[in-house]
Amino acid sequence: MGFFSVSVVGRDRPGIVAGISRILFELGCNIEDSSSTILSGQFAMLLVVGYPGVSSPEGLDKAFGPVRSEMGLMVSVNPVNDEDLSREKGFLGAPHIISVYGADRPGIVSRVTRELADRSVNITDLNTQVVGSKERPVYVMVIEADIPDGFDMKGLEAEFESLRKELHVSISIRPIETLEL
Amino acid sequence: MAILPILKFPDPVLKETSRSVERFSAELSIRVDGLLDTMRAMPGGIGIAAPQVGWTERVVIVDVSGHKKGGRQDNHGLLELVNPEILAMGGSQIIREGCMSVPDYTANVKRAQWVLVDALDRNGKQVIIESIGFEAVVIQHEMDHLDGILFLDRVTSLKTDLFRRKSYA
Repeated sequence: MGFFSVSVVGRDRPGIVAGISRILFELGCNIEDSSSTILSGQFAMLLVVGYPGVSSPEGLDKAFGPVRSEMGLMVSVNPVNDEDLSREKGFLGAPHIISVYGADRPGIVSRVTRELADRSVNITDLNTQVVGSKERPVYVMVIEADIPDGFDMKGLEAEFESLRKELHVSISIRPIETLEL
Repeated sequence: MAILPILKFPDPVLKETSRSVERFSAELSIRVDGLLDTMRAMPGGIGIAAPQVGWTERVVIVDVSGHKKGGRQDNHGLLELVNPEILAMGGSQIIREGCMSVPDYTANVKRAQWVLVDALDRNGKQVIIESIGFEAVVIQHEMDHLDGILFLDRVTSLKTDLFRRKSYA
């Protein structure tokens, strides 16, 4: 079984998922995991598929020809190593949510994520969106991040405090609490 | 007391509707003890429903008093609810839930903020419980198991609820 990532981007319309998944089904591919979203009218989907007995991406890539031409989709196919596949997000520490929001200005994403990267905090999910009115746009970023065990939270809080002043944004961090039943 | 194995989806028992308990015997009490011991042995260990161990009768156990968050809120300690019915419910809260019977998956679920529950104890004596907040969520989650409903049936959102859809009017 070969595994491939398939990424799909195009102007949103009904039928994109059906078009992509029909091709995969007819080839005998299995959709392992997938996620999709719509950003500013662009539909984007990432799938990891298993293709029994096939190890090179060429045939799979070629099969998307019709949806590329008929639906105007950009589809790219890349091989994934078996050993890189994992069933779930591999949290080494504890999942946290970091909310950052304020008047829209350049550098919010870059500055905040740099500080996280420098502390080896892995971002596991991220959403950014401009909300509010045209005259007074508000930038909202929500990060899901894996905070390692024994992490220097005081140090991060201190850095957030200086970012609040520098970027004029609100920043908060809290653990994701899950009710395990 | 033996710890019972937890059934995991797609075990079809988890989608069955459980029947009411009719005989309040010594045997029932032994089975409730087994369910309680199993719950206590689990990580989290704050709620369990009989169908999760393959016992398709209407019994749930809840005890949030030892939980680091739930224990700080109003709660009734150990609740053994036989043939529970929700008489009234109100308000709403969204909590991220996980379930021993659905490993590796968590999701935001909308639940009532408070519930009024009519049930029997293991001896057949009526208990009426008004529960709010954290404990109320656990009661609702466990009672759903009695009707073959998993939290996956009640998922309210795939991702964060924070974002409103943009309108391009």
